[in-house]
Amino acid sequence: MKQKNIDNIIALSNDLRWQIGDEFHDNLAEGIYADAAEIVKVSVHKPNGDNRLRLDAKIDKIITSKTWGFPLMFLILAVVLWLTIVGANYPSSMLAELLLNTIHPALKGYASALGLPWWLDGFLIDGVYMAVAWVIAVMLPPMAIFFPLFTLLEDFGYLPRVAFNLDHLFKLSGAHGKQALTMSMGFGCNAAGVVATRIIDSPRERLIAIITNNFSLCNGRWPTQILIATIFIGATVPASFAGIASLGAVIGVAILGICFMFLTSWALSKTVLKGEVSTFNLELPPYRPPRFWKTIYTSIIDRTLIVLWRAIVFAAPAGAVIWLISNIHIGDLSIAAWMIDSFDGFGFLFGLNGVILVAYIVAIPANEIVIPTILMLTVLVTGISGGAGAGVMFELDSANATGEILRAGGWTLLTAVNLMLFSLLHNPCSTTIYTIYKETKSVRWTVVASILPVIMGFVVTFLVAQVWRLFA
Amino acid sequence: MEVKPKSACDTCAHFNAAGLKKLGVDTSSFDHVIALAGNPNTGKSTVFNALTGLRQHTGNWPGKTVTRAEGGFEYNNEKYKLVDLPGTYSLLSTSEDEEVARNFILFGKPTVTVIVVDASRLERNLNLVLQILEITDRAVLCLNLMDEAKRNDIEINTRTLARDLGIPVVPASARYNEGIPELIQTISEVANGSIVCKPHRIKNIPKNIEKAVEDLSVEILKEYPDMPNSRWIAFRLLEGDQHIINLLRTGEFEEYIS
Amino acid sequence: MNTYDPLLALLVFLGICLLGFLFFRPNNGWFWLINKGSQSTDKIIVEDILKRLYHNENAGKYLNINDIVRTLKQNDKMVIDSIDNMATLGLVRISGDIVKLTKSGSDYALRIIRAHRLWERYLADKTGFNKTEWHQRAERKEHELSMDETNLLAHKLGNPQFDPHGDPIPTITGKMAELKGVPVSELKTHTIGRIIHIKDKPDIIYKQIMAENIHIGSIIRVVEKSPERIVFHSEGEAFKLAPIMAGNITVSILEKNISYEEDILRLNILKENEKAKIIGISKEIRGESRRRLLDLGFVKGASVSIDLLNPLGEPKAYLIKGTSIALRNDQASKILIKK
Ligand SMILES: Nc1nc2c(ncn2[C@@H]2O[C@H](COP(=O)(O)OP(=O)(O)OP(=O)(O)O)[C@@H](O)[C@H]2O)c(=O)[nH]1
Ligand SMILES: [Mg+2]
Repeated sequence: MKQKNIDNIIALSNDLRWQIGDEFHDNLAEGIYADAAEIVKVSVHKPNGDNRLRLDAKIDKIITSKTWGFPLMFLILAVVLWLTIVGANYPSSMLAELLLNTIHPALKGYASALGLPWWLDGFLIDGVYMAVAWVIAVMLPPMAIFFPLFTLLEDFGYLPRVAFNLDHLFKLSGAHGKQALTMSMGFGCNAAGVVATRIIDSPRERLIAIITNNFSLCNGRWPTQILIATIFIGATVPASFAGIASLGAVIGVAILGICFMFLTSWALSKTVLKGEVSTFNLELPPYRPPRFWKTIYTSIIDRTLIVLWRAIVFAAPAGAVIWLISNIHIGDLSIAAWMIDSFDGFGFLFGLNGVILVAYIVAIPANEIVIPTILMLTVLVTGISGGAGAGVMFELDSANATGEILRAGGWTLLTAVNLMLFSLLHNPCSTTIYTIYKETKSVRWTVVASILPVIMGFVVTFLVAQVWRLFA
Repeated sequence: MEVKPKSACDTCAHFNAAGLKKLGVDTSSFDHVIALAGNPNTGKSTVFNALTGLRQHTGNWPGKTVTRAEGGFEYNNEKYKLVDLPGTYSLLSTSEDEEVARNFILFGKPTVTVIVVDASRLERNLNLVLQILEITDRAVLCLNLMDEAKRNDIEINTRTLARDLGIPVVPASARYNEGIPELIQTISEVANGSIVCKPHRIKNIPKNIEKAVEDLSVEILKEYPDMPNSRWIAFRLLEGDQHIINLLRTGEFEEYIS
Repeated sequence: MNTYDPLLALLVFLGICLLGFLFFRPNNGWFWLINKGSQSTDKIIVEDILKRLYHNENAGKYLNINDIVRTLKQNDKMVIDSIDNMATLGLVRISGDIVKLTKSGSDYALRIIRAHRLWERYLADKTGFNKTEWHQRAERKEHELSMDETNLLAHKLGNPQFDPHGDPIPTITGKMAELKGVPVSELKTHTIGRIIHIKDKPDIIYKQIMAENIHIGSIIRVVEKSPERIVFHSEGEAFKLAPIMAGNITVSILEKNISYEEDILRLNILKENEKAKIIGISKEIRGESRRRLLDLGFVKGASVSIDLLNPLGEPKAYLIKGTSIALRNDQASKILIKK
């Protein structure tokens, strides 16, 4: 009985739909706006009409101008990175001094006073604690600078303008202009960037944005870039230009990432994710002067500490794994040494080495611990004294000392360049992979998003290595 | 007219500061569910933070919030669960990016829907407001970003606005915590029924559509006499909304209106 | 590492790339060819023959076996076998050399056409595929959709009457709305009409028409006609077409006295510091994107001006109802304005 009535209602609605024709939605929307106009007419008084604030319009004219639009974008990126790199230096070494050189020995002292067996002490203090301490020392300062700066730009209203300026490039690569926004979020954290792709309402373009988000260098990878650029790239030029050269290299890698993002988007939209670009519409909000101190306070408390916490949660077990593989022996080689040996030839083809590849495998959960792992493993295989023993992560106080260890491990400028490239182009961290799965609900696309960048990384480093060796 | 224009209210209950407790993420055993709806970038998350004491991310671009967030506050010994939603331009669309918000507004059964609008762009914001008023009769308009409206020399008569919309209107600058106490007070009054809304119904619709909606909602009311928003269901049926049709077919609809 | 040589490594790599390319290159890659070969082509041939017969019979032409073999780009023997097969199944009758559809044959053909046009409608409304690709994709899909799937599709799309080219879609019972119109090539000067159909075959001409940005639903007015070309105005732009192109565009002629507004323009040609009123959104924008534009305030009567130009030329930001909204040119070109 009831079912019949419901069917009647649906049938009636179908009939009526034919009667009122396909203008229904248009008419309804117009009707609602007409009501809105009537209401506004009574209650709102606008002496200036619909015009925007003069100041806003002026800023917009500059930010989106033919001459200034793009240079300003690069300049802002450069300034943010410069402040991050330069500003993080000092607190980073202070933290390292405190956590690694003061607290670590103290903990070791306690442990031996308590009479802990060597393996427990090594596992907990040299493995877990050191990994966590390293991550804090390396990540906290740059993040505490980068995130507030980024949030200030975000609150000001700059991000939508970036999307506005870049949209044409996205259109050419078959992607959605709002991908610029998710890409920017990716510079902080790829997992956050992947979630942010929800603002893209076309499924095809959203997938492209998800798959290519990994090409935005995330905060876990900035420190690697900065450190390697400082040690190796900075050293190729006279000391007075070292800072600029290394800054240039880091920015170069970030921009290279953006190029790869466009390239991959284009390739995807020409092949597996074929389809025409859908529509794009973006509301450009008014500029809002950010509340400086409040922004800084909340972005440190929220973003920085939350991301840091995540890094620590991943670093602790990774530290344990590193310690274990360096201290468990098969025959007379530790697992780590054995892995490094077997990867060395393969790594050589790509201008990398076994240490780097093993470090990347160990560091799948969190990119932040790549560099300490590399250092520790290098010490392990070269047998030079500098660290604190097998499987102990450490950071040497100055970049110079770190550089010496790496050079002793056979590193050249090529290794450094390729490490920077590989750090840009490799699989997303485990959190991001999980987020991609949650957002796409598809194993297939998750696999594509995880594998594609590694393949590209290998291809690019391979080509660079061969060409380099041909000409150098 | 039962609606009291909030801005010029001399007699109504005043905000009781001592009765407010921000509960953060604790949303256990609440008495009322409050939804925060509105166009993108109108300050919903900022209002949410002001009410719950949480730090939901805000940012000056449309689309900052993409998932729904919950928090709570307690006022005059009643617990409120507050739901921050992603921004939406319209309930009439079927686009994926707005799905979370649309579904909650339509099917989440909030006790009160707080519609956060940008005071300096009221006209375009009213598009969504008028749609929401078609489906609920417990709503509060939060006229946010009043500071910006002032900077633009825009004057808004909240009294006539409240009269025309048939719901209470609270001017606010959420970022500076202005108007938040009044907002809480109003929410509680609407939730408790001491303010009864008489929401605006869309008028400027062509005759043939109006008639079709009329006919359909008569049929719907025959079937579901208690349906509060039969007109809206009629709109959706005319639009051919598969979601609503399925709900009707499977009968889950009954749950949704009860 | 004594055999290692960077040059050798590069060459090996290039070799692998080349192989990969040969395998997976679009259309002619070996991988696709192998894949295709394994699919049953019989059904496709039968259905293609039925369609061809139907279209020709509709135009009053009958085909003989030779014609069919010639027009179908398939193995000749397979085509001839298929025709025999169809005769035994009672889909066609062969009298002498001529092949004619039986009732059940033409029903079958209509089903395929229905699937084809519905799929085009689907592609147009629900996906972002380029217009020039719709036909090709539907050519493949029409063979894959079962009858139930087709009906479900029709239901989901709200039982549309026309495909995006303006061709009528057969109903389940095989009824089809009639298309009454005149090709643009036959219009006299000063005739006013509304474009109701653009032929999607042959491909080259269709692509040219699409490149001109001409779309269904636009009102046109012919201003010049000569054997070499036809010129008409539409939405503030002048279009010059060769007769062969104009012949593929059908319009329904409007009454002379209907007021054709010469000054209807497209939003994308608005200049800085100009103000305009919105007249409407072209029928070309459908579904979700149409709703979004309406919700953003692009409704009849709203006033609009340019807020920001783009360093790369596109998108531009338009000031509408107090807010700046960025749109790409292809979308703006489908919003009609009046200065
Ligand atoms: N000047 C001023 N700015 C405000 C006010 N309220 C919010 N804002 C700012 O407006 C911007 C948007 O605020 P959000 O709270 O993120 O807006 P939302 O509605 O949650 O946005 P979506 O999540 O994108 O839908 C932020 O930069 C806020 O700081 C206000 O009262 N005055
Ligand atoms: Mg928000």
